[in-house]
Amino acid sequence: MDYIAATGGFVWPDLPQQIANGILLGAIYSLIALGYTMVYGVLRLINFAHGEVFMLGAYIALFVSWAFGFSPAGLANNPDPKSSVFVLGVMLIASMVGCALIGVLIERFAYRPMRNQPRIASLITAIGISLLIQFGGTFVLPVSPQPNINETVNPFSGTQQITFKPAPAALYALEKTKTAELVQATKEFNAVFEKEKKERKIASKFQLSPEGAAIRDRQANVEKELNDARGKISQQSIGISLPNGQLIMFGTSIGLMLILRQMVMKTRTGRAMRAASHDFDSAQLMGINVNTVVTVTFVIGSALAGAGAMMNATFLSTPLTTFYGVNPGVKAFVAAVLGGIGNIPGAVLGGILMGLSEALVAWAGYGPYKDAVAFVILIVVLLFRPGGLLGSSKVEKV
Amino acid sequence: MLNKGWLSTSLASLAILTMLTGCSGGKSGGEGTTTGESSTTGTSGENKGSSDAGKRPATTADGNKIEGNEIKIGLIAAQQGDQASWGIDSVKGAQLAVDEVNAAGGVNGKKIKLIIGDSQSKPEQGKSAAEKLISDGVIGIVGEVASGTTIQIAKSAFPQGIPVVSIGSTRDDVTDVGNNVFRVCYTDSFQGPVMAKFAFEDLKLSNIAIVTDQKLPYSQGLSENFRKYLEKIGGKVVDEQFYNSGDTQFSAQITNLKSKNPDGVFLSGYYTEVGQFVKQMRDAGLKVPVFGGDGWDSSELQKYGGAAITDGNAYFCNHYNNEETRPEVQEFLKKWAAKFNNSIPATTMGALSYDATMLMIDALKRSKGDNSKALIAAIDETEGFKSVAGEITMKGHGGNPPKRALVVSVTATGQAFAKAYDYFAQ
Repeated sequence: MDYIAATGGFVWPDLPQQIANGILLGAIYSLIALGYTMVYGVLRLINFAHGEVFMLGAYIALFVSWAFGFSPAGLANNPDPKSSVFVLGVMLIASMVGCALIGVLIERFAYRPMRNQPRIASLITAIGISLLIQFGGTFVLPVSPQPNINETVNPFSGTQQITFKPAPAALYALEKTKTAELVQATKEFNAVFEKEKKERKIASKFQLSPEGAAIRDRQANVEKELNDARGKISQQSIGISLPNGQLIMFGTSIGLMLILRQMVMKTRTGRAMRAASHDFDSAQLMGINVNTVVTVTFVIGSALAGAGAMMNATFLSTPLTTFYGVNPGVKAFVAAVLGGIGNIPGAVLGGILMGLSEALVAWAGYGPYKDAVAFVILIVVLLFRPGGLLGSSKVEKV
Repeated sequence: MLNKGWLSTSLASLAILTMLTGCSGGKSGGEGTTTGESSTTGTSGENKGSSDAGKRPATTADGNKIEGNEIKIGLIAAQQGDQASWGIDSVKGAQLAVDEVNAAGGVNGKKIKLIIGDSQSKPEQGKSAAEKLISDGVIGIVGEVASGTTIQIAKSAFPQGIPVVSIGSTRDDVTDVGNNVFRVCYTDSFQGPVMAKFAFEDLKLSNIAIVTDQKLPYSQGLSENFRKYLEKIGGKVVDEQFYNSGDTQFSAQITNLKSKNPDGVFLSGYYTEVGQFVKQMRDAGLKVPVFGGDGWDSSELQKYGGAAITDGNAYFCNHYNNEETRPEVQEFLKKWAAKFNNSIPATTMGALSYDATMLMIDALKRSKGDNSKALIAAIDETEGFKSVAGEITMKGHGGNPPKRALVVSVTATGQAFAKAYDYFAQ
């Protein structure tokens, strides 16, 4: 791979776009990382099944969309059902509630019986639950089911374009002329293709007669010039384009994180959670019902994963498999550790840093090493601050 | 210090967890004709098929003998697991061939009996299926699709002297196992150059960017073969971007691609990531033509890519296409429809399996003895055998017949024929 550096980047006009890419990506990691960090904060348990809760959340969102006419049968009847903010809202709430329920069930039946056992026991239980859901799920859940909710249910396609410095006006004029030329050239090409399809029984546009091929090549050439003009515009202008879906995702994530912060800092339950996180046993002695606290922690953490999953499936990537949560789960876990596991602002910071490092490493031209760099950052941070960036590094007495 | 120790335990378990799930996770349906840990060794860009003919180790065993009134042929295909869609088509194709020959009187008056072994989409299961078939007395084995599985089958058949005709394994080193191994498909060192030629000569694109899945040796080898040939015929690679199987967000790579202003993009990975990559590319305003290898061949591609990949600007390399007017294809489809309820094969493996089985039966007719050794010699002598996916000549090519390849374009319902390429030297 000696040519990697040669394809390297540091294309400065791309920097704002790459920073935006990183932050948008990081917000999702943050949202999932919150679940890991909260459970760890209260129980000192790494809930490896969190990624699977995320996966199930995406499936719940899908099944809810079926109820709105997006099911395979529904799509056969009406191929273009209408999606709306209401549909998305119901999917979001259902996914959050469903995930909260699943999280509580996992805690009640898998982790609670292990709570007084050595920690390694609950850790192994967590891994077991994770694998059970991943592989057991393949027997129950449809693999890459219809519809592609990313494609059909998302009503917010398109992007927001923010231009800091436009390209020379001549290029925009060129793009316009070429667009018009392409319409004309495509019309001519279609006419000759249809004609030869009938007369010469050809199946492909690469079998056209020499005259037809000339028209085909002219059309291809205009298209190439149009793409080139577009490319030059994006090369010579400085700006960022933000996909609408990801903006909504970012806004919702930030909103949910603010609500969480208010809850933890301002409410009675939040205070109980902080107390349990500080010292589980003392909190119990002070009359705090720690079982309730643990349940609430799992409810909140899993609901956040559900929200992340619903938005991820709707605005970013489908189709779904039972391994949908593995990758985001791993990244978010690293983000939580990086920010300081057990620390809520740390999870948000860690997530954003992970997203940024991925985007910036790719920008610098070292794309193949983007995951490696994220882990190097993690190792360096843990060397100097063993508790993570914002975590307490106090040594626990055994 | 409990805190720290705890954390490192967790990280270690995380690593184990990732390993456990990493090998089986991610891929859901069938994937390209090379699977799993497949690696393309033929990155030199030379055609190993014609140059390696004499280098393969030769088996010395006589193999099994034809006994009684029937000739036993083994077929190994995945009936379960993520490659089952190929395996099911493989069985149908082979059964179609055997029934056709038996209806016409069999071979030298003897009926053919097809014995099916299940590889369960796993190389080690393929190996035990092969051992079982050999002890059952099969004269030869047809299969498998996945290269990793075929290599295991070939290794257990080699010391026994049993011929193996692979259905769809494109990995270059499959036939290096021994002189008992053959295939009826093209190799990875051919499809890269085919796509380079198509992009440069037919789409008239000269500044091309490559996108490689750095976790897949298949993808790395294909990118390299593509790059070598493109540069040889005068094209230019303006950028190469990388991702990992399982990634879902490609905004960073796409931003980089856009700043290099390519005329076209070659994506050598599997449909799982390619579909999403193209979708995000189109969303970001990069509308240039995209193309790739047979790792795109799945109806799942359209699910991942949506409308972005069916815009008529996406092409990939495949073995044959149902829309071809060649009589071999149309006759095959007629027979298939008559036998299987008016359906068409769901994957290209139906036709390739039919080809592989027919090739073995054709060799049986020409065989100068009644054991596997004579059959190996007969298969190796094959010249100008007319198959559904193009003519096959084994003689002098070390098990890798120089085959034609097709370029198809992605449509909403499947794939449309674009152009056929006869074998050319790279």
